[in-house]
Amino acid sequence: MNRFRLLLVNEFKLFRTTIPIHIIGIFQPTLMFSLMALILVKPTFDMRVVRPTTPLGEELVSAMHEVGSPIGEKYINPILVDPPSSGNLPGGQVIIVETVDGTPTAVQRFGLIDSNIVKNYRNRLTTAALSLWNTSLAGRSITIEQHPWLSSDIPFAVYFGMAMLPLAAFLAAALIGAFLTAQEFEFNTIMEYRLSPISMFPIIWTRVVRLSLTGLLSAIVLLFTVGIIGGLWPSSLLWASLIFLALAILGGCLGTTVGLLLQSILPSFVIGLAVSFFTWILGSAFGLSAGFGGAYEAVSRWMPNTYAVELLFPLYYRVDIGLSQPAILTLTTACVIMILITTFTYRQKVLKRHR
Amino acid sequence: MDKAITVNSVTRRFGEITAVNNLSFDVMSGEIFGLLGPNGAGKTTTIHLITGMLSKHGGTLQVLGFDPHKETRQVHKRIGYIPQETNVYLDLSAVDNLWHHAALYCKDLSNVEERIGDLLNLMNLWERRKNPVGTYSGGMKRRLALARTLLHDPDVIFFDEPTLGVDVQGKHVLWEYIKGQQAQGKTIIISTNDMMEADFLCERLVIIDQGEAIALDTPEILKAELGRDIVNLRTSPAIEDPEGLFEGLNIQAMKRQETDVVRFEVKDAETLVEEIITRVTHGYHLESMRIARPSLDDVFLYHTGRALRD
Repeated sequence: MNRFRLLLVNEFKLFRTTIPIHIIGIFQPTLMFSLMALILVKPTFDMRVVRPTTPLGEELVSAMHEVGSPIGEKYINPILVDPPSSGNLPGGQVIIVETVDGTPTAVQRFGLIDSNIVKNYRNRLTTAALSLWNTSLAGRSITIEQHPWLSSDIPFAVYFGMAMLPLAAFLAAALIGAFLTAQEFEFNTIMEYRLSPISMFPIIWTRVVRLSLTGLLSAIVLLFTVGIIGGLWPSSLLWASLIFLALAILGGCLGTTVGLLLQSILPSFVIGLAVSFFTWILGSAFGLSAGFGGAYEAVSRWMPNTYAVELLFPLYYRVDIGLSQPAILTLTTACVIMILITTFTYRQKVLKRHR
Repeated sequence: MDKAITVNSVTRRFGEITAVNNLSFDVMSGEIFGLLGPNGAGKTTTIHLITGMLSKHGGTLQVLGFDPHKETRQVHKRIGYIPQETNVYLDLSAVDNLWHHAALYCKDLSNVEERIGDLLNLMNLWERRKNPVGTYSGGMKRRLALARTLLHDPDVIFFDEPTLGVDVQGKHVLWEYIKGQQAQGKTIIISTNDMMEADFLCERLVIIDQGEAIALDTPEILKAELGRDIVNLRTSPAIEDPEGLFEGLNIQAMKRQETDVVRFEVKDAETLVEEIITRVTHGYHLESMRIARPSLDDVFLYHTGRALRD
């Protein structure tokens, strides 16, 4: 029994050798669930309503506040917004209350591509319209018009594949970057770099370029697979490749930085993997973040994949969603920042004299 | 000879532990200089201080006239370092490993291909040059590491435990290569806890214990300074009263090693051989007599009271 106790205590003490692995192993599912619950599992839907200018519009907003499920949860949380500029992707749902040919009409514009969620939004809006009809319309009819943002239906499989392209570029570069860099420390080949008299910039750049090309290759393989299976191809392979390169640079820098910090293969690899999937799921993996709006969009704005998807979307669906320029700017800035972070980390962990 | 390296009152601490304490020595250009001491004595720390990888907490350092802590790049251009663990890329071939090193260290890449060929031939690795290094023996990997270090033609080479994990035959081959580099005018600093290695290779050495220099000179002088030889006598039957038998010969450290073997230390044993044999053969049959010079382990024992391998 004493032997068992000693062995057991030692088993637990061994966690010190793999602290990052333990943290990820223990907390990652909880963290993922918490974030998904916070972002996606909401009983009340946020609905953006263009600020009403008529008494009828104000009454519809009041009706939205009132309708809810039999157990008390509100169906709709109306958020008053200014009218969206034409051509832009509406943020989540946008309801415009107006009178069309003498009939009160709730015009529902939606930027979602997932028809199931659209249906849920429409049902809740219909409930609010029915409440309004019962209380205020005195026999007059009310119409709900739906205006999908795209004229054609988007096969979800294609969207899903398209949104995985940034993941492919990021994941390959991050994993391989983390592995190779940590391996340099485990095999002590880092000493070659530590004593090298040449500037550190060619050393870092060659690694970033190598990882970026690996990430690009991974994304191109997936691009062709998505194209062959889904039948949808980007309008410009060059533009798509540039987007993949940006994500691969980010992934490569992230992997290299993690490897430099942890200096151990397995934890670096696992963290590279976890971050890649994290940024994928929260980065418009299942629909454009602007289409979801709310907390999901707020979190997605911190994920590089979101901007990559916003750049890929027009290439695949031939529609301008008005987000390309900010996305290009954001990705370019992110690449520069990540390269600087990697360079700084390299300097600190490899070149700086140990104090 | 010029001084290649000057270490002057250098101190380095790790928290409460002083790894190197007020250490001073010079290394002359073209000599093989040894840092001898047990594991944890501070040898590797000393090398890391001299190569500028570690900051010091006191003292001054110079390598070929440059301060490794202020003119690090100048120093790194002129030195080569082979760490304890052979740090070559196991999945790459010898040629690929050398090209990688060339990209990191060589200013002029135009003659690298020729130099790689020369070095692989010199280190007897040419036949296996295209094989993954992971398939090499320990000695071959160490030879490759040496070839790699020589590629950028450094003036000073640091060898941390050069033959650690290498078999006896491989050790001798490596030692010859190291001597060969000295003949080419290189200054070589080796750290080792192998007395034979230090004795064979080093022209001068500093014995380090707990971060402090406890002796510094040539191996011959260090051993001669002890001034005693070690005598082993095997007789039949066993000598009953060895102290009485050798009275007046100024014998020290008398010990019965086996029933019929006595060991003692004495100054200038060679001059006493005849007298010792005469006294022994009066009452005993002398089966064997062995006189040994003190080893570096004896020197270490003399200065620290502990054996080097402790």
